[in-house]
Amino acid sequence: MRIEGNETLHAPRDRVWALLDDPQALAGCTPGLEELRPVGPDEFEAVLSIGIAAVRGTYKGKLRITERTPPLRYGVQVEGSSAAGFVRATGVLELEDQGVQTGVRWSGDVQVGGALTLGSRMIPGIARMLASQFFQCLDRKLQEGAA
Amino acid sequence: MATRWLGSPIKRNEDPRLLVGQGLFVDDVQLPGMVHAAVLRSPHAHARILRIDARRASQHPEVLLVLTHADLPPALKEPLPKLIPHPDLKHHKTQYALAPDKVRHVGEPVAFVVATSRAAAEDALELIEVDYDPLPAVVDLEEAAAGRPALVHEDIGTNVAAHSVQRVGDYEAARARAHLVLARRFVVDRGCASPIETRGVVAQWDPKARQLTVWDSTQAPIPIRNGLAALFGLAQKDVRVVAPDVGGGFGPKIMMFYPEEVLVPLAAMRLGRPVKWIEDRREHFLATNHERTQIHDAEIALDQDGRILGVRTVFLHDAGAYIPYGLIVPIVAECTLPGPYRVPNYHAEFRAVFTNKTIVSPYRGAGRPHGVFVMERLLDLAARQLGMDRAEIRRRNFIQPHEFPYDVGLIYQDNAPLIYDSGNYPAALERALEAVEYDRWPEQKARYRAEGRRVGLGFACYVEGSGIGPYEGCRVTVEPSGKVFVATGVGTQGQGHFTSFAQVVADALGVDVQDVHVVTGDTAAFGWGTGTFASRAAVVAGSAVHLAAKAVQQKALQVAATLLEASPEDLELADGYVRVRGAPSRSVSLGEVARAANPLRGVIPAEWEGPGLEATRYFAPPRGTFSHGVHAALVEVDPETATLRFLRYVVVHDCGVVLNPLILDGQIHGGVAQGIGGAFFERLVYDGSGQLLSGSFMDFHIPTAVEIPEIEVHHQETPSPLNPLGAKGAGEGGVIPVPALLAQAIEDALDDLDLEITQMPLHPDALFHLIQAARRRQP
Repeated sequence: MRIEGNETLHAPRDRVWALLDDPQALAGCTPGLEELRPVGPDEFEAVLSIGIAAVRGTYKGKLRITERTPPLRYGVQVEGSSAAGFVRATGVLELEDQGVQTGVRWSGDVQVGGALTLGSRMIPGIARMLASQFFQCLDRKLQEGAA
Repeated sequence: MATRWLGSPIKRNEDPRLLVGQGLFVDDVQLPGMVHAAVLRSPHAHARILRIDARRASQHPEVLLVLTHADLPPALKEPLPKLIPHPDLKHHKTQYALAPDKVRHVGEPVAFVVATSRAAAEDALELIEVDYDPLPAVVDLEEAAAGRPALVHEDIGTNVAAHSVQRVGDYEAARARAHLVLARRFVVDRGCASPIETRGVVAQWDPKARQLTVWDSTQAPIPIRNGLAALFGLAQKDVRVVAPDVGGGFGPKIMMFYPEEVLVPLAAMRLGRPVKWIEDRREHFLATNHERTQIHDAEIALDQDGRILGVRTVFLHDAGAYIPYGLIVPIVAECTLPGPYRVPNYHAEFRAVFTNKTIVSPYRGAGRPHGVFVMERLLDLAARQLGMDRAEIRRRNFIQPHEFPYDVGLIYQDNAPLIYDSGNYPAALERALEAVEYDRWPEQKARYRAEGRRVGLGFACYVEGSGIGPYEGCRVTVEPSGKVFVATGVGTQGQGHFTSFAQVVADALGVDVQDVHVVTGDTAAFGWGTGTFASRAAVVAGSAVHLAAKAVQQKALQVAATLLEASPEDLELADGYVRVRGAPSRSVSLGEVARAANPLRGVIPAEWEGPGLEATRYFAPPRGTFSHGVHAALVEVDPETATLRFLRYVVVHDCGVVLNPLILDGQIHGGVAQGIGGAFFERLVYDGSGQLLSGSFMDFHIPTAVEIPEIEVHHQETPSPLNPLGAKGAGEGGVIPVPALLAQAIEDALDDLDLEITQMPLHPDALFHLIQAARRRQP
């Protein structure tokens, strides 16, 4: 299924890009991320804990950065599984220069399997909620950095 | 005889026990030291298994046993048994107890864990690491038939398991001289039975006696026993399989084997402790067999008077990932299609195709709803094109009452010729049309329309193959207490056998029906039989019960004749006594007769056939018997929300001699409800990667009492000449014509829209889009 959204981050694009390019900053803002361990160039092993409805569980998986076009586009591929099933996703972030702020257009293709499919109708909503938490956190970091 | 029980609407013997919660279902079996199993299932529709690491699960403090394919004994490493072979089934691929190197549907078992509690077993499943290499999922049936996007079983080089053709006459020649040839594609999608009780297995191994006891929610305990004995190298006498109370079967509970049916006994034997596994609802949606997906390209050829010259159907059957049950469903579909009509030229051809979905085996109807849907739709559409009344086109094509036995010209699922034994098709239709006042329908419909309501009348005719062989048996015993005990090999899943079989015996022996105790589904009580399927138990087992009871009756007369110093011809059985006709004071109780039949000293005459007031008899019908019926309904359609309301529902049903009209009504009511659910509310939706999206009752909507109308049942009785009871099967007739009827009713309700319904199941979303598309086509 395809999920997409738009966010606004209150900092110029170069600063947004710098933050996105810092795995530790990303890790700090990813809801439920318990572990992010680099295993190769642009490749990480992650443990993520989600406590929402049908997708509740601890997910172990891999995150790979598939595209990096500073300061425009950023692509990731995620694979994870838990007792509730598996998730495979590809996502793209596109940054739009809006002067003092930056528009972020994000989109993802998500495939789920196992018991997770029972909640698949809720996944877009949950993904949007998690994405919004993620970007709010990034925005706070950017504003803290500016202050 | 004082009372005639057969044919009376008596209440069920089993209900008081069930209604106060005293039933024994598999999950009610509690044994000392019992431990619990859980199954790790594939989350992928199609993937290679690269690695399984179960070490962490094995180390879990509450885990007693972890099994993967590598841990199985040689006999269980092989694919599980092929159930029903067929010459056209070239690739009879069957499922594994645990997947070896590849998984072929979501839910396929990969590992099996036994722990001290179910919760611990499920926790341990999370500790098993499986690396999968996902493969493209084979989901679309037509693509699958073309070998795309992958092969479910690479070694056979195709996804087509079977290609089968049956012909009657010469369809091409009939087509060439036809006035009208009408061709359509009809699509029937997946459905599942959703019994209240999911599957369950408990196994107990006695290592000293070397005896295995298995409680299994199966429809076929005796074949399960025989199969387990073969797989584990035990004598059949040392394996006891009990199908206790079973909370609904509907077909999918007959399979040999579901993996858990061998894994639970294996675990019990390895551990020396009783093991229980109860399927949860989520597992049930993925791991208990489905049915129904078929794509029919069908054609009918008629003369200018609407007489059928020929029919052709070329169809694809979705077998799912494996095909243990063989070709029963598509064969039943093609054999049900001609229905109550003369079809002098018929061409039926199908391909059974593997997909990466749950295995398919018969589910109530078992191909019959498909056949009826195609045939009835073809007739409806042909009548429309010919400007002919839809009842009239059927009248012109019915097989007439004097034409029985009627040879359809096909070979049926029992490998016997498809010969209708008896019936009265025109009478059933007229009775249904009369009940819904068909002749006054145009005015009635106009009145609804004037009120702004869209109400349609639909009806559909069907013939239901039932009561097939090979055989069933029964032992009837009168004990010295005077109580009568009946044992037969079929299992019972709610059909009321504890009552209907008791009625048969009560009539023969002149006892109260409540004094007849029936045991079904316990291999220790009766060890020969095949199972409860294809609407056959009442017909085949019921006839064996009848024969055994009649034999006991004869013996009671013979034994009592010596006790009463009378001639057997002068005696009668009534009220639990054998008495001299006309001199009721000269009598002896059945209990005393039973005692006298088993003396400690003396001679047993040869004509008694051994000791005791007991007899065992078998019944093997020459071929199936054919029930039939007509359903008619008034259905209101809300074109804005695309929802339906049934205003009336009438069933005219002919299953030969009725054994118990109350039980029969229950069968029909339940069948109609399940038919309505399967035709409009329930959907099994797969995504492109083979994931079942509607695998919970959140998305799979079983209708409630609110959606199911009151059902008026009319019984017509045309006895079967093929069995001593004159009975025919009644288990599936409630379901079979519902899709066809619903399609016709909706088209009638929306007849200003030029709608054609060629797919089932419908649901509000699909109907809404059909209505919108029809509106867009309007000028």
